[in-house]
Amino acid sequence: MRNKRLITKISILVVTILVLGAALSGCIQGLQPIGWSGVAISSDGTLFIGSKEGRLVSIKTADGRRQWSEPLKLPAQPGGFGCAPGSGGTAGGFGCSAETPAVAIYGTPALWNDLAFIAGYNGKVYAFVSDTLQQRWVFPREGNLKPIIGGIVLSADKIYFGGTDGKVYALDAATGDKRWEFQLSDEIWSTPAISGNTLYIGSFDKKLYALDTATGSKKWEFQTAGAVVSTPLVQDGTIYFGSLDRNLYALNESDRSVKWTFMADNWFWARPVIADSILYAPSLDNKVFLLDAKTGTKINEFDLESQVSSSPVVVDRKVVVATQDGKVYSLDRNEKRLLAIVTPNASAPLSANKGIVYVHTPDLTVHPIDVSTGAKLPTISLKKAE
Amino acid sequence: MNIWDIIVLQPMINVLIVLSNYLFGSFGLSIIILTVVIRLILLPLSLTQLKATRAMTTLQPRLMELQRKYARDRAKLAQEQMRMYRESGISPVGCMVPMLIQMPVWIALYQSIMLALAVNPEGLLNLSRYLYPWPVAFASLPLENKFLWLDMATGDTVLAILVGASMWVQQKMVTPHATDPRQAAQARMMLWMMPIMFTFFSLSFPSGLALYWVVSNIISIVMQYYVTGWGALALQRAGAGAGAETSRDRKLRRRIEVEGATKVQPKDTTSVPKEIPPVAPPPPPPSPPASQEKEEPEPKRSVWRFWK
Repeated sequence: MRNKRLITKISILVVTILVLGAALSGCIQGLQPIGWSGVAISSDGTLFIGSKEGRLVSIKTADGRRQWSEPLKLPAQPGGFGCAPGSGGTAGGFGCSAETPAVAIYGTPALWNDLAFIAGYNGKVYAFVSDTLQQRWVFPREGNLKPIIGGIVLSADKIYFGGTDGKVYALDAATGDKRWEFQLSDEIWSTPAISGNTLYIGSFDKKLYALDTATGSKKWEFQTAGAVVSTPLVQDGTIYFGSLDRNLYALNESDRSVKWTFMADNWFWARPVIADSILYAPSLDNKVFLLDAKTGTKINEFDLESQVSSSPVVVDRKVVVATQDGKVYSLDRNEKRLLAIVTPNASAPLSANKGIVYVHTPDLTVHPIDVSTGAKLPTISLKKAE
Repeated sequence: MNIWDIIVLQPMINVLIVLSNYLFGSFGLSIIILTVVIRLILLPLSLTQLKATRAMTTLQPRLMELQRKYARDRAKLAQEQMRMYRESGISPVGCMVPMLIQMPVWIALYQSIMLALAVNPEGLLNLSRYLYPWPVAFASLPLENKFLWLDMATGDTVLAILVGASMWVQQKMVTPHATDPRQAAQARMMLWMMPIMFTFFSLSFPSGLALYWVVSNIISIVMQYYVTGWGALALQRAGAGAGAETSRDRKLRRRIEVEGATKVQPKDTTSVPKEIPPVAPPPPPPSPPASQEKEEPEPKRSVWRFWK
């Protein structure tokens, strides 16, 4: 009898451990979308950020005054334990964080006239009035698209973005009315890039597409061996983009011919930048490669001992990068300099204004860092004041 | 990455991804194949565990009798129990050790599927840390989420029901037929609690994970069937009947009884009761000759009653 009870107890214990282990590990291993919005900076120095709480936040750098929009709304979901990744929420119920569910925001806000645009993982695009953060319009007005991961870009009076439904959308910036849409054959996580009247965007179907910004018609497509998740960089007639085949491609904008390719040991996830004709390309193999922008020849490489998933920014001819372990470096052709250490897991693209670089970290904080001195300025909390 | 990641998770994730590449880009097929392969590799352990558990149940009447006999002498009771285990060739921990060995593998498979699914940007970014420098591994990602009618990144109602149903069947097969009302209530609770819990989990978690649970449950059902037959499921089908013992049950019971008796009886016939308390029928005869047993009437209660 005693043995039987012991076996029963052990069995129950084992099952409980299994279930709890399953539930907990499920929620901590990247199942929940968190978001990593970058910082958009207006001409008057106001910062606009999509926060982990699912709100657009504006910060007047002059006086530190903060404003919050209403939180983006989660799409209606069936019941369960709140760990479903498709819900758009960043926190759930059983086995997950006890925080209130919020819509993840990955794209950096886009600014135009008096409006700030933001796209949410809930499958909606919002326009807020910059001064008040009151909602001007939302797209679609009814229902939700599939989650939107890529950011929004502006050209003339239209905004452009891609969705995980595989469509590229063009909306009227003032009204939110749809101007056109173009269906690709797989999901889009990439933020588009615009040069002239051409929009470039990558897709899970392993292609980079060039679309006409006016009509949405396809101009051409370029096949790679891996999904194209990163945001392209278009500069001086060349399109630079990374593919999950571990290559960084440089294409001639005029005839989509390959100028050069460069392979790393892991993905080129972040968008590269150019400073002094040198392309600084961060890779998830912990390195930043310095390549001749014209030829692709490697000039130098810096091993930062941690992945770089946030897009760098150029400040006074220096390139500032943030690593996953929270270190912020300033790089030039010959040397790297540790500027500051911030909260780990920064994946948001970096932004800069007047020599100050802004690093948005997942703990609802923006870290301003003076690039010239490396001084850490007072951090800015994005947490909604109650 | 820690040692667990490097030694266990990383190889399993890369195998999943590469398998997916060679299985027409289908991550669903990859999950099914890897689950089957791992369960096959663990088959000897699983069978050992199932057989040991069954054998333990056959000793229950004798254990109960020993407990009754030496109720006031714990040292003697322990001594006699150990002797009975030794002589019958059964280890009291024989059913737990294989399970404990298998647990890390099941957890690793579960975690690998979760990681490889990479249902959102954080997941894909995290996955990049686990990849071997194989071109096929990098280029295969992100994995195809569509399988049959499923979007494996989101929960699915049909699959959730399948998880619950298959788990219920498996639980039912191993649920002991308890005569004690308290134990019966406990067994009923376990029978329903786990399937209901996992059904809710399946609604909330990516269906790729639910697919793994369904496949794993089906394999467990098949293994259980080959070791013990339909068990309590057969009893229920036959009208929850006392005495609804299947031919498979009968054969297994006779074999275990004969093997157990021949091992125990010659050395210590006095320690085995001639009468078994009513709570633990049927009484195992101390030394039933095979020829005699054939002539005995069919026992009214199946071997499953010993489980409680």
